[in-house]
Amino acid sequence: MNRKTLLNVGVPLLSLVLLLLLWQGIVVVFHVAPYIAPRPMAAIRSVTDNWSTLWPLVLGTIRETVYGFACGAVLGLTLGAVMAKVGFLQRLVYPVLVLSQAVPTIALAAPLVLILGFGVGPKVVIVAWIVFFPVAVNVLDGLSHVDQDLVNLARVYGAPRWRTFVHIEVPASATPIFTGLKIGATYAVGGAIIGEFLGSEGASLAIFQEHANANFNTAAVYGTTMLMTVIGISWFLLVIGLETLATPWQRRSVARRYRWRR
Amino acid sequence: MGKTFGETAALAPVTLDVADGSFVAVVGPSGCGKSTLFNVIAGLLEPDEGEVRVAGVDVTGTTGHVGYMLQKDLLVPWRTVEDNITMAARLTRGVTPEDRAEARRVASGYGLGEFLRHYPSALSGGMRQRVALMRTLVTHQPLLLLDEPFGALDAQTRLEMQQWLLQVWRETGRTVLFITHDVDESIFLSDRILVMSPRPGRVVADLGNDLPRPRDLGTLVEPQFVTLKARIMSLLHEDLS
Repeated sequence: MNRKTLLNVGVPLLSLVLLLLLWQGIVVVFHVAPYIAPRPMAAIRSVTDNWSTLWPLVLGTIRETVYGFACGAVLGLTLGAVMAKVGFLQRLVYPVLVLSQAVPTIALAAPLVLILGFGVGPKVVIVAWIVFFPVAVNVLDGLSHVDQDLVNLARVYGAPRWRTFVHIEVPASATPIFTGLKIGATYAVGGAIIGEFLGSEGASLAIFQEHANANFNTAAVYGTTMLMTVIGISWFLLVIGLETLATPWQRRSVARRYRWRR
Repeated sequence: MGKTFGETAALAPVTLDVADGSFVAVVGPSGCGKSTLFNVIAGLLEPDEGEVRVAGVDVTGTTGHVGYMLQKDLLVPWRTVEDNITMAARLTRGVTPEDRAEARRVASGYGLGEFLRHYPSALSGGMRQRVALMRTLVTHQPLLLLDEPFGALDAQTRLEMQQWLLQVWRETGRTVLFITHDVDESIFLSDRILVMSPRPGRVVADLGNDLPRPRDLGTLVEPQFVTLKARIMSLLHEDLS
């Protein structure tokens, strides 16, 4: 591992450790009662001790997040692109986008459960609802700010509009597109958990936490919250990894190899 | 080929015939409509009156018939040098193995063979403009429109690029229309110089330039060069005052 990776991975890990130490320090120094806040190790142990119960629930939350994120991302990318290309549709759709985000997510969940039941459906819709907005807005912004000289150059070549879109406008918007996806990824797990709180067919992470709370198992309450956070961070990191793979020119000066070379 | 067109406000009616294989410089201060003239020829703008003909064919208001290069190199940062050179093929019909082979051949021939896999961010300003000119060359358009392509380069690099452009022009036999506000550059490169004046842009002089070729640094101090320069300077200043 070279110095740069050490800095990129080591320093964020250090901030995590410092955060846990701060937590530990506050609990110890102020004599916080264990039923108010456990020590970090107790919270972590409550997760590892219940791992066989928690693991399927974690998978359930991940599934809701993945489905919802995929739907939201596709919807956001499509809406952003359509709005960028058709001015009339932008004026027509944009207010609805803003309106959709003004609806409190928690108030959205109840009618969704009425419509879609207690299955995976409402969770996916809530996640997609949260994810599509930052994606659509950033795609619209990116596509609207592509260097017009570059677009004109393509026109001078006699390029059809779809080729210009695919080979110039989309890659030129890579940074804002991934910004939208990263913001969406950060909130996606939160959406899935809100959906779970309102009711699930079987067990779920949110319901597990409610039970722990009802049983005064404070360590498990905190542990579950940590677990949810870890899922959220992992999902964010996965999108970052995807961005790194998709935009090699932002870090490298020489292409790794020729692609599609015969 | 012949071109007759006019665009009011930005560009007064201008009639211009450019001979096949010639190198014509267009010199004038900013705001004299040089770029408007180019954009009309390239088909990005429709003229209010008149027409544009390339090799006898009316191409007014249509695109896809010229090579085009600006002061901004317009290389895309997400493509390697090789993939930037083949950009026109990618944008019009898809890149073939022949396109790739040609890109490699051209880049190697003009000293960038080792940078084919580099991204543009790794190149200097002069190298980037070389790649931009190669991208323009492989479109195989007989008419090249170059709009101040070396305007952002330092004096030393610019001189190297001018000599390189003359070499490319000699070897490929293209017709070049070259916009600049640098009087020295216009004389050093061209067979013919159009002097333009602003508001509305119009051609105030059409000067032949038969300085012997090949040209080198010595050309810049020849009496004929200096006479031509004095003539152009007085035309430009007369109009600015």
